[in-house]
Amino acid sequence: MAKRIPLAWLNLIHDRRRFATSLAGVGFAVLLMFMFNGFMNALYDSQLQLLNRFNGEVIIVNRLRTNMFVPRAFARRRLYQARAFDGVQNAYAVYISEVNWKNPDTRKSRVVRVIAINPDEPVLNIPELDTHRQALRLPETALMDTQSRAEVGPIEAGVITELADRHIRLVGTFTMGTDFASGNGNLLMSDQNFLRYFADRGPEEVERSFATVDVGVLKLEPGANVERIVKTLQENLPNDVLVLARDGENGFVIRERKYWQENTNIGFVFSLLTSMGFFVGIILVYQILYTDVADHWAEYATLKAMGYKNIYLLGVVMQEAVILSVLGFIPGVLVSQLLYQAAGNATGLFFQMTAARVINLLLATFVMCLVSGAIAVRKVQTTDPADVF
Amino acid sequence: MFKPQQTSQQFAPAREDLAVHIQHLNYFFGAGDLSKQVLFDISLELPKGQIVILTGPSGSGKTTLLTLAGALRSLKDGSLRVLGKELVGLSDRALVGVRRNIGFIFQAHNLFESLTASQNVEMAVELTGNFSSKRDQAGAMLSALGLADRVDYKPQSLSGGQKQRVAIARALVNHPKLILADEPTAALDKKSGRDVVNYLHALSREEGCTVLMVTHDNRILDVADRIINLVDGRLESDSSPNAFIQSKQGDPTDVSADMFIM
Repeated sequence: MAKRIPLAWLNLIHDRRRFATSLAGVGFAVLLMFMFNGFMNALYDSQLQLLNRFNGEVIIVNRLRTNMFVPRAFARRRLYQARAFDGVQNAYAVYISEVNWKNPDTRKSRVVRVIAINPDEPVLNIPELDTHRQALRLPETALMDTQSRAEVGPIEAGVITELADRHIRLVGTFTMGTDFASGNGNLLMSDQNFLRYFADRGPEEVERSFATVDVGVLKLEPGANVERIVKTLQENLPNDVLVLARDGENGFVIRERKYWQENTNIGFVFSLLTSMGFFVGIILVYQILYTDVADHWAEYATLKAMGYKNIYLLGVVMQEAVILSVLGFIPGVLVSQLLYQAAGNATGLFFQMTAARVINLLLATFVMCLVSGAIAVRKVQTTDPADVF
Repeated sequence: MFKPQQTSQQFAPAREDLAVHIQHLNYFFGAGDLSKQVLFDISLELPKGQIVILTGPSGSGKTTLLTLAGALRSLKDGSLRVLGKELVGLSDRALVGVRRNIGFIFQAHNLFESLTASQNVEMAVELTGNFSSKRDQAGAMLSALGLADRVDYKPQSLSGGQKQRVAIARALVNHPKLILADEPTAALDKKSGRDVVNYLHALSREEGCTVLMVTHDNRILDVADRIINLVDGRLESDSSPNAFIQSKQGDPTDVSADMFIM
């Protein structure tokens, strides 16, 4: 057993209750950072839930549709034109509109987003579509997103209520999640039913028909060069549409995320809150380390008198900082995981804890504790062994 | 008040037989206009193997002298050789090296509550780099001080005397050639205090180490080979215990030879 005595560890765990509260303090700071960071990412990630389900490599939208909020459609014949190009296997139409949904319990109307597709085409990667395909072909039927907000009322097959002041029946549910453009929830229906509700809504409303499409999804042949096809299509189709790859650096999904990053204060607000959590953590850890040094200053000074160098004592304080950061991180991340689930259920936002995000915050926690340690060690450095006498 | 002499002054050469050799030492607290001189032209020779008690009224500079000899303060004036090493003008880093050859015993035990008795002592052994034998060395030293059955106890389950003995074991485990003790018996009852002093006495006889002890405790003056009295930063007297007691006889509240077994 030729090891150094782990003085930092033993000092920390000597008072179990204080150790537990210390870890709880660090864990709380970690939790704050995770929650604020989580909300920021959830707000961004949520915008992409529908986009990520489009079953195609290339997306066509109206040039004016800079984000999913803008209700601009484009001519459906562009899809037929696109289908004629080499490498394009199929072109699907997605119709999107917003309309009032009446909560069957409270009788209050709420805006929901209606997404309509041809049920016979694989437009969306939503597994529930397969099981409910037959029912969706029936008139005045739809599927409701289970992640819709509570304001829409009960979400289950068999609910009968009104959509755009017309009768509608839920034949099932699917799970996707809400975003800024979705209002209180998502409703999925067939394109035939879409016409029933939106073709003639009265003098003030825009009439919808199959002549215009909100999002075009192009399925390419296997092995096709996405970049080249996007370029060809953009060059040859009229300029009223924008052709984008779904994924990739300049893709449709990233464009949507960038739009929200650049045009909202979400990033600023939540980064500020995250850094506040970071500074709360610094103060908490500093308090913990300072108290340890202050309580043991006579012992530390004795070590100095015995011939221990400053660097050893700095090492002890820094080790304590690192131990606190690692051990405090664990409860912090576990509780955050639970709160992510709870927050996701409550808001319908898409909270995901990816490995990269966890590692980022672990590093932040690490830095947090090192900064506190660096402030606290000054107390040790100034400890004068001559004062112990 | 005389001006302190410059360092160009000639000092006697180093002598092998002296553990501590102080020549014309002046020491000031503070700097500039606020500086206050606490030690005045101290010259002192402590031969190896002696037990020397430093006494005097509070504020007389005893503890300051002790910390200077312990290389805990840097000094600029005079000459102070400890174990053959000149301390005047040494950097803080070099002073740390000197301290490793000195055993310190404080009024308070200053043990880590989080470490066992053995671990507290091992902290001192680790300075020497003997990691493999540290446990044995610590155990042996604790046993020598009568704590063989308390090796793995934490300080909170030890009595005051036992804690002080652990602290002494920590100071002695590396067999230092110089031991500096500040009121080592102040926090102890009569018997524990006497035990502690007897250990120090035996140690100095067996290993030939020098002990410089500051104390107000009249019950332990008898172990000393010399008693040095310091008043207002100046050496007042340097005598044997008997002579010291004789000189105090006029004062009825002070010491008497009857207190000792001599």
